[in-house]
Amino acid sequence: MSVEQTTSSNEPAPVAAFDDPHLQPYAKNPRRAELVIGLCLFAGLLGFAAYGATYWVGGQTQLEGVFFGVGLFGFGFGLSAWGKYLLPQGPFSEERHTFASSEAEVEAMSSAVTQRGTMMFRRRGFLGGLLGAGAAVMGVVLAFPLLRSLGPQPGKSLDTTDWKSGMRLVDVNGRPLHASDLEVGGSLTVFPEGFVGSAVDQTMLLRAASADIVTRPGRETWGPQGYLAYSKLCTHAGCPVGLYQELTQQLLCPCHQSLFDVLQGGQQVFGPAPRPLPQLPLEIDSQGWIRAQRGFSEPVGPGFWERS
Amino acid sequence: MRGKLRGRYVLPGLMVVGVSLTGLLTAGASAGTTSGPGPSPATPASSTQALRPADPVTYRLPPSSYVAPGQNLFEANCSSCHGTDALGTERAPNLVGLGGATVDFWVSTGRMPLAISSLQAVRKPPRFDRTQTLQIVAFVASLAPAGQNGPAVPAVDTAHADLANGNSLFVLNCAGCHTVTGAGDALADGYFAPSLHRASATQVAEAIRTGPGNMPRFGPGAMSDRQVSQIVAFVTGPIQHPDNRGGLGLGGIGPVAEGFIGLLIGVGGLMLIAFWIGDRA
Amino acid sequence: MSVTSGVAGNGKKTAKRVDPVDAGVRWLDDRLGLAKGGRVFLDKIFPDHWSFLLGEIALYSFVILIATGVFLSLYYNPSAAEVVYHGAYVPLRGVKMSVAYASSVDLSFAVRSGLVIRQMHHWAADVFIGSIAVHMCRIFFTGAYRKPRELNWIIGVTLLTLAIVNGFLGYSLPDDLVSGTGIRLAFSFMLSIPLVGSYLGFFVFGGNYPGNGDILPRFFIMHVLLLPLIILGLITVHLGLLVRQKHTQFPGHGRTEHNVVGSPMYPTFIAKTTGFLFMVSGALWALGGLAQVNPIWQFGPYEPYKISYAVQPDWYMGWLDGALRIMPSWEFVGFGHTIPFEVFLPTILFPGITFTLFYVWPFIEAKLTGDRAEHNLLDRPRDKPRRTAFGAGALAFYFTLFCASSTDVLANFFQISLNSVLWFFRFSVVIIPIVVALVTYQMCLELSGVAGAGKRKRANVVTRSAEGEYDITKTEQRPGDGPSELAPTPVPTFIELGEEPEPVGAADGSGIRRIARRI
Repeated sequence: MSVEQTTSSNEPAPVAAFDDPHLQPYAKNPRRAELVIGLCLFAGLLGFAAYGATYWVGGQTQLEGVFFGVGLFGFGFGLSAWGKYLLPQGPFSEERHTFASSEAEVEAMSSAVTQRGTMMFRRRGFLGGLLGAGAAVMGVVLAFPLLRSLGPQPGKSLDTTDWKSGMRLVDVNGRPLHASDLEVGGSLTVFPEGFVGSAVDQTMLLRAASADIVTRPGRETWGPQGYLAYSKLCTHAGCPVGLYQELTQQLLCPCHQSLFDVLQGGQQVFGPAPRPLPQLPLEIDSQGWIRAQRGFSEPVGPGFWERS
Repeated sequence: MRGKLRGRYVLPGLMVVGVSLTGLLTAGASAGTTSGPGPSPATPASSTQALRPADPVTYRLPPSSYVAPGQNLFEANCSSCHGTDALGTERAPNLVGLGGATVDFWVSTGRMPLAISSLQAVRKPPRFDRTQTLQIVAFVASLAPAGQNGPAVPAVDTAHADLANGNSLFVLNCAGCHTVTGAGDALADGYFAPSLHRASATQVAEAIRTGPGNMPRFGPGAMSDRQVSQIVAFVTGPIQHPDNRGGLGLGGIGPVAEGFIGLLIGVGGLMLIAFWIGDRA
Repeated sequence: MSVTSGVAGNGKKTAKRVDPVDAGVRWLDDRLGLAKGGRVFLDKIFPDHWSFLLGEIALYSFVILIATGVFLSLYYNPSAAEVVYHGAYVPLRGVKMSVAYASSVDLSFAVRSGLVIRQMHHWAADVFIGSIAVHMCRIFFTGAYRKPRELNWIIGVTLLTLAIVNGFLGYSLPDDLVSGTGIRLAFSFMLSIPLVGSYLGFFVFGGNYPGNGDILPRFFIMHVLLLPLIILGLITVHLGLLVRQKHTQFPGHGRTEHNVVGSPMYPTFIAKTTGFLFMVSGALWALGGLAQVNPIWQFGPYEPYKISYAVQPDWYMGWLDGALRIMPSWEFVGFGHTIPFEVFLPTILFPGITFTLFYVWPFIEAKLTGDRAEHNLLDRPRDKPRRTAFGAGALAFYFTLFCASSTDVLANFFQISLNSVLWFFRFSVVIIPIVVALVTYQMCLELSGVAGAGKRKRANVVTRSAEGEYDITKTEQRPGDGPSELAPTPVPTFIELGEEPEPVGAADGSGIRRIARRI
């Protein structure tokens, strides 16, 4: 059977008889297919109506989802089945026309670009240079409002927190911490007094048995009565390190499972964290309030370019 | 459609159904979302007293008549590892001075007596009934002088607890290990934070006060009794009976299960539909 | 086979009555000149193979995203201002939270159909990106990105990137504990970029984390306006290129490099595809009602000092989270500066390299194979074993990374040590892709050696006569058995719809004959 393909306008368009096998439906039994499709469409209709009714009486998430979902699905199934089984099975074809233009047209385009460009720029290189330079400067300065207006420069703000010498430790409700508050094996999230809820100042206060602490050189006074304070900002990617494993004396970050040794100065022992948790030196004043001796041992949180 | 046409969907259809059922079942099994707490401990008749609404948590030791039967139970079931005097051996720690709450927690959750020697004891059906448990508690508590004992068995009044405060406290102090839906998760070095879905109110309070295993200890200085009752109310309420009005809870572990369903059932199912609409090569 | 002519339009005698369709077509044609191009458009052929419908899953999920997104945007408020909740969900009553979170909870609890539509939106996003990935695999493994379709491939990769970013922005909008953690991580990722990292972070957030409260409104406008506009524009170009360059097709009976064989746009393809639109929507509605997703009321509002365990990003960011977890802690400190490679590499460099590789892949392959010819026929994946093996290995690589994002959940579920699970993934992310690639290569070679592998076999009926002779009859071809044994023909414009066609002119049985039309 030969295939005649014409879509150009000077040939008459194709015609076909109804008994052309290409026009026959896919379904072996079109009547039965129509019945099934009809049922699907009807199920769709019922589903839509049921959704409407559910909505009207107040709505319920599961029923809304099922009714409208089944309704839409049945409706769509019927429609797709209609297209697949009851419409001409084909196959039909169309011709691909190369859309690449002829050689002459391509050459004409290229030469138009170059020659007319030459008309503009020949012996006017200086002007062309000015044009380019102006555009470059415009491009650069356009970036300024787009970026710089968004926010402040970082300056030194990533290097420090609000912890200062003598500040009391308070819990999330602002209550100051006393030396008798935590039992050995206890933990609490604390902030500097006046900065409750601060993202950068958040600190984990732990109490270990004093005898177990391995004091690092220079930090002999940092852990009075077994109290240890570490920055709660993970040095990996900044998640709060809220998981204190009291038996193994480790702090585990829930985000990417960096593990820090509590008794050895917050040393990183497993996982992707590159640096220990900065430690806050503590002191207990004469009335028993826990205070910070000064700020953290190093900048808190994840690494950044200016961190030296 | 009949015979062959239907047949070509049987295998892929079965695969999709089978895998997604597996996924749904395991997602559901990993944290039973609607399981209730374990049997509430009935306070022994001789010490029943109506709790005043002003006391969110009261700590009470079992009556002294429980000490002697407790000693027998201890000797029969616990002394082989903990020693007859509960001072511990190389296999098990010293129990003297730990207090009633500690012993009640470990025994009533079935963690003790230990069935298999593993890194971390797991919750299992308790071997003793409530009275026997309290007898063991009474015995161990009697081994240390009164002032040098850990907290006694708590009874928590959750009826007057502020749920919103409990919510905040739970998320701040507990969710980091137990997850915000209380599903539990793996800790480092082979330990794990267990699911909270089967803990009773008393057991939650005991765990908070005594810090079993890797769990930190929240004493009265860190967390008041009122705060403890609020956390207990939150755990026995929205954690153990979560509002899953959106549909299947998928285990409460968030995007891991959701991605599974979205890809397998969502994309996979729709690919099957595409397979039906279109032809094969 | 005879062919008769018919009258224009619906075949009725239209001598006196005005046909409304005809009138409408004339009206438009008089003003826009649509008739000629319009008919060509109606004749446009879509190949029937099922794998060509995968892109439509993506398209229709996007339609659902837009529709449900408009609904959600009428209720959601991106403000970071603090309010005290007094709504329907009791465990949050009295809790301080941002207006963004409160409006999301109210949308879920107090707006009728709000929860089902919100969940539908989330599921549609998951399905959207999943179907893009599947569609991309089809394009890759059949070589559809070769000349002249490299541009469309580039647009497609851009769509994937934008979809992933928009998904992240979208699920961060409710300001719940889980997605808020993701926003903190985004800040850290920006910080890790050498030279400009801290500036970028401060500019985007309006200050040191958590910023000045502008981050959610900025996310909101990017999520509902900027990115959807770009995505919509790119989808339009993507489909426009498809119309212009025409679809590719698998080789088969009657199919050449110079034709397209399949079903015509109208009515067949439109019926099938509109039905598919409804089915995709229905599936998403059902998911939205039956499967809970992102239950923000259980997570609580985000506070920068709170965290939950078992926190993963949505699945399409999972490969980045997995990379972040298994990356060793290699940080460079020197010359007064720090380059945190343990964050910079997996979250900035690695996806940058990934997407760059995706972009330039058609050109790499053209260079490696020296094949610069135009291709409109697709490859069967088994016929290009090296490409298929490489693609399978790459898929295995990203899939392993995706699994690595759930280390803690896996360790808990299988009761293995977390540390062991992590080391397992560190090794398997290298080993598994290599093994998969080698196995796939071998499978391709073996499959292409087997004649008729994967083709549908027609059943034979074997009968035995009384004398013991065996007789084999091939069963009839049934619809769907394919490939169709009819040769493809052009779409007929004029169809005689009468019951009994009248043959006019000699029938030579050699094809469709054109006969002078009446009228």
